Order: sequence, then C-alpha cells, then structure tokens
Amino acid sequence: MLLKSPLHDVHIELGAKFTEFAGFEMPIYYSTIKDEHLNVRKSVGLFDVSHMSNVWITGKDADKLISYTTVENASRIGDKLSQYTAILREDGTVIDDTIFMHLGKKYMMIPNAGMAEIITTWLKDKIKEKDFDAKVENVSRDFVILAIQGPKSRDTLQKLTDTDLSNVKFFNCQYIDISGLNCIISHTGYTGELGFELNITPVKESKDIFLEILKAGKEFNIKPIGIGARDTLRLEKCFILAGNEFEGGRTPLEALMSWTINWDHDFIGKESLLKQKEKGDYQRLTSMECVDRGIPRHGCTIQKGGEKIGTITSGSLSPCIKKGIALGYLKPKHREIDSTVDIVVRDKPIKAKIVKPPFVKKDWAQQN
Amino acid sequence: MADEVREKLRYTETHEWLKVEGNNAIVGITDHAQSELTDIVFVELPEPGKEISKGDELCIVESVKSVSEIYSPISGKILKINKKLEDSPEIINESPYDNGWLVELEIKDKSEINNLLDSESYKNIL
Repeated sequence: MLLKSPLHDVHIELGAKFTEFAGFEMPIYYSTIKDEHLNVRKSVGLFDVSHMSNVWITGKDADKLISYTTVENASRIGDKLSQYTAILREDGTVIDDTIFMHLGKKYMMIPNAGMAEIITTWLKDKIKEKDFDAKVENVSRDFVILAIQGPKSRDTLQKLTDTDLSNVKFFNCQYIDISGLNCIISHTGYTGELGFELNITPVKESKDIFLEILKAGKEFNIKPIGIGARDTLRLEKCFILAGNEFEGGRTPLEALMSWTINWDHDFIGKESLLKQKEKGDYQRLTSMECVDRGIPRHGCTIQKGGEKIGTITSGSLSPCIKKGIALGYLKPKHREIDSTVDIVVRDKPIKAKIVKPPFVKKDWAQQN
Repeated sequence: MADEVREKLRYTETHEWLKVEGNNAIVGITDHAQSELTDIVFVELPEPGKEISKGDELCIVESVKSVSEIYSPISGKILKINKKLEDSPEIINESPYDNGWLVELEIKDKSEINNLLDSESYKNIL
C-alpha cells in the first residue's frame, strides 16, 4: 500500500494528478509539468515534499557520528548552518545524498524519500560500532516538508513571518514562525532558483499552511508544483536524483561531488576514494544537450562511432531551452566540451553535445 | 471540462480518430487523449510511402514524462504527414481534430472502417 503525504486531501482539492514515487502517492502535476516548471523559473511555486525523510541526530557525539558516516567534517558546520553531503559504503559508493542542518544541540538530516529506515539503521549500527554517545530518531512521519522556490519565493514567504528572510542566507537554517507555526527553515532547494524549504511539525497543525502560502503568493502568481516539474527543474541544473545518478553504485568522485569531500577527517569509504582518486581514469557524470530532435530517457545507450560508451541516467525535454537534455557517466576522453556523442532513442541515434553544466543558466528568466 | 467528441468521425478504443476523405483517411488523436497527455513536446512521424497494417504503431507522441504509441486504426499507405508538428507539437493539444492531424493514409480495405467506433460508442467509453 502506498504512503500518502499528510497534505494529500489538499492536493485532491487542488486538482492534482497523482503518481507513485518511492512508495508514496504524490502529485505529479496540478496543471501541466511544463506550465508549473516555467512558473517556478519566472515567479514562484510551492511543492509538498513530505515524502522526503527526517532524522534527528542528537547527543554529545552527534557531530562525530555525522563526520564518520558522511564525507563532511561536521565540526566545520556551525549552528544555524546546513550542508549537502554524501553517506558512503566502505567501497566508496553513495548510499544516499542528503542535507543535514545544525540546530543548536541537535542535527536534522534529510535523507531521500524511501531511505529513512535504511539511513537510520545504518547510523545506529555505526553508533554501536564506534560506541558514540549519540542517538538517532526517524521522525519522517511527524513532519510536513514544503519547498517554496522561484524569484518571488522570498517575497511570498515574507508576508507570513516577522523574521527578516534576507538574513537567512544561502544554506543557513533556523527555527522560525511562519503564519503562527513554528518551523525549521533552510535557504535551500532543488530547483536552482532562490528558495526556502520548511520542515514543520506536528503534522496535524500543518494542514492549513499549504493553502496559506498559496494565498500569500497569489499576487505573485504562485502555483502548486508537482514532482513532474520538480524533476525537470533539477535536471536543467544538473542536480543529482539519487535513484538515477547513484544507480548501480557510484562514488562522489564519479558524481562530480568532490567539492563536498573534506579529506581532513576519517570517514567510511575514504580509503576506497583515495585509491580511485589515484587511478584517475574513472567515469564522470556528464551533461549532454541534444543537437538532433528527440528526447533522451533513463536507460538509453550512449554511443561514439557506433560503440557503446555509457548509459543515460536521467533524460527529458528541457521546458526552458526546448531541447533534449541528459546526464550520464562517461570516461574523461569522451567528455570534451562541445564534442558530440550519439544517444540511442528507440533504436535511432540522436546527436548530442557535451556541455558545461547547468543546461539553463541563472539569467534565463531575465532573458526570457 | 468535457472532452470534445466530433460526430462525423470514427474512433478507436485507444483514442485515435479517423476521417474518411474519398479513398483516403486522416488520422489523429482525440481531445481526451491530448488532455491525458497534457503538454505534448515531441512527435515522431512515419515516413511517407510506408505501408501500415491496422493496429501497427503509426507514430510516437511524447509528453515531458511519457512516451505514447499511437496505433493505426486501419491498414493503408502513408501519403502525407503533418510536418508542422515537428517544430510545434503543442498544436495537437490546441487543435486535436483540425490543425493537429497526424497522417493521411490511402485506405487499403474500406471494410475496416466499419469496425471502428462511431461518436456515440466512443463517448460511452470515456
């Protein structure tokens, strides 16, 4: 049986069409994917992302636990700061990418949808292994998570709070009152636009907030946004979708996440990464933009001179640039910017060129 | 908003429509089909001259999230394709029965037309 968001009835009321994702029934769109996508880039959109997970990490050794199990050294991340990081296996491959937020004496980790139990169990095992004075609690069912994203996201949310949101800088996090509800806010998002994410508990008091934010954003032409547009928005910015880009086992070096790795501390998977770093000739995540007509999809073969050189991990049509766009792992020799590859779609090769991420630049909305 | 169903056309259970014009037939997808697909962003049309049997894949219509095969309601030979759809696939959403036509076929076997649904029968399956 599929899980539902606590706001499920609100989505029904708003005319959402539903789909299954990571064991949840979530809105895929309310109007259309293209319409919602462009609305986020041009003004503002509100997403229910309650299918994502919430894990409290507490105790004297909370930061040590995070440092041991992620590629970040948590002592670098002060109070009211958050960080994007990866949790690795011993062999260096990514179990999950996640954000963790430092909130006073506690940390809130946000693993991906469907990963709550896996991550909680993994962390608990490591507590035992290292005899850390730390506690881990899966509270995913107790939280509603909302994302408000787009050039008018701050103006919209500002109407509902006395806190000056211009002080909540990029990757900052804190407790805040939104419309009388105490929330955790972070200046984060998955769209590449200005935006914030709200983690709200308890659930039963959170049922009105979605409609209240829509009301506040009406003057800015806010729309509710489904996970269909969530995927096209992140893909245009070359953000990773764990289920696709880590499929089959990928390391943060391969996934172009080296910038997240703090090498000055010991963490699970470090030895394997160092070995891979030394070898050097590993596949890396690559952005491809179609030159010929066609839409690349997950699983399509990438060819060069008729020979298979990789597979598409994520592919779609970019609503902004109206071209097929895709991600896939390629060896360094195939990754020269502007060089071309063939992506095989329904047995037909379509030409694509290697581009520097992102597919859609920051100034797209101003130019269009 | 009710899906439009045009009286003089014939239909399939897979939401294609067909219009007879002498020895030829024009084929497209219905208002119901385009509304289920939402924004159509890509159309792959067959080559003119191609022989096709009833039930064969006629063309591909893609939305952002999905790929849909469109099946030929009848057997025949592709005479014309609606090339405008290559640059503007959204025409199908805007005008599924007029400007959004997909292909024109030379009918091979006129009796196949009788097996198609009329507008009343098609309305009943919606």
